[in-house]
Amino acid sequence: MPFLTWCQWLQNTPLSTGIRQSDLLFPLIEGSHILALSLSVGLIMILDLRFLGIAFANEPVSKIMKQIMPWSLVGFTLMFGTGILLFMSQAEKAFGNTFFRIKFLLLLLAGLNALYYQMRFYPKMREWDVAVKSPAGVRICAVLSLVFWIGVIACGRTMAYEI
Amino acid sequence: MSLESFFQWCYQSPALGVIRDSTYAIPIIQSFHLVGLTILLGTTVMLNLRLLGIGMRQLPLSEVARQVWPWTFGALLLNILSGVLVFLPDPTRYANSGPFQLKMALLLMAILYHFTIFRKVTRAEPPTVGPLRNAVVAFFSLTLWFSVGWAGRAIAFFK
Repeated sequence: MPFLTWCQWLQNTPLSTGIRQSDLLFPLIEGSHILALSLSVGLIMILDLRFLGIAFANEPVSKIMKQIMPWSLVGFTLMFGTGILLFMSQAEKAFGNTFFRIKFLLLLLAGLNALYYQMRFYPKMREWDVAVKSPAGVRICAVLSLVFWIGVIACGRTMAYEI
Repeated sequence: MSLESFFQWCYQSPALGVIRDSTYAIPIIQSFHLVGLTILLGTTVMLNLRLLGIGMRQLPLSEVARQVWPWTFGALLLNILSGVLVFLPDPTRYANSGPFQLKMALLLMAILYHFTIFRKVTRAEPPTVGPLRNAVVAFFSLTLWFSVGWAGRAIAFFK
């Protein structure tokens, strides 16, 4: 089944239709999506700031990372859940929306960036754990992370203009 | 100058007109506002998690408070600036909006609270209050700030 056809089917399910037609449900889900940014992207940004040596610089990176990650995962679960519901309710429009496509691409890039950090730098973290500024490669990942997430937020906002 | 004549000036101002008529100016400014919100609420959530004793427990409360402070403050400034830039090109729309009025009232309370009671409790070294009072302090912080967020979202959906 072509993806577009599947989107059309998806947005006509009872759940999707219920969300789309409800005065309260869509704003509640969308508002949760936006405010959960704090628990997800917000915490990741604090971690990025640590890599750059401009927040919590007196603490080892590992200490900050260990305490942020579990909560950030809770945040991203909320983002994912609300995101899926939002997509379902307007699947066809979202799929065809240029900014949504860019948003998704940036989400992928943010994920790949995190994976790259995990595989390339995390194994040797002990060597630079207490340094105020992490190694150059790590800092590049941190900057890219900030750029990608800011891009995701901006695309999310701009999506509404085409929809 | 009365409020009404100031609003009239806003609608006549060429500079504000550029923002108002541009397709992307407002979404770009609002994107700054959302990024600011992410950091403002993110740092506040982090600090409140520590205050509640359910997160960031390896760090002293006062240290978390001190470290996030410049970022919370910077994000607040960013949001005030971006908020003003969204408001000025279309002032009567927002001035007449119930949710907007509520948001401003809540914002004022949130800021006052954050700079007084919340700051005092989170900076105290060693912490001067026990877990129950910490929970109350955290509850008000989170409720006030997230209410500002919800009121902001409501502007587009309700009168």
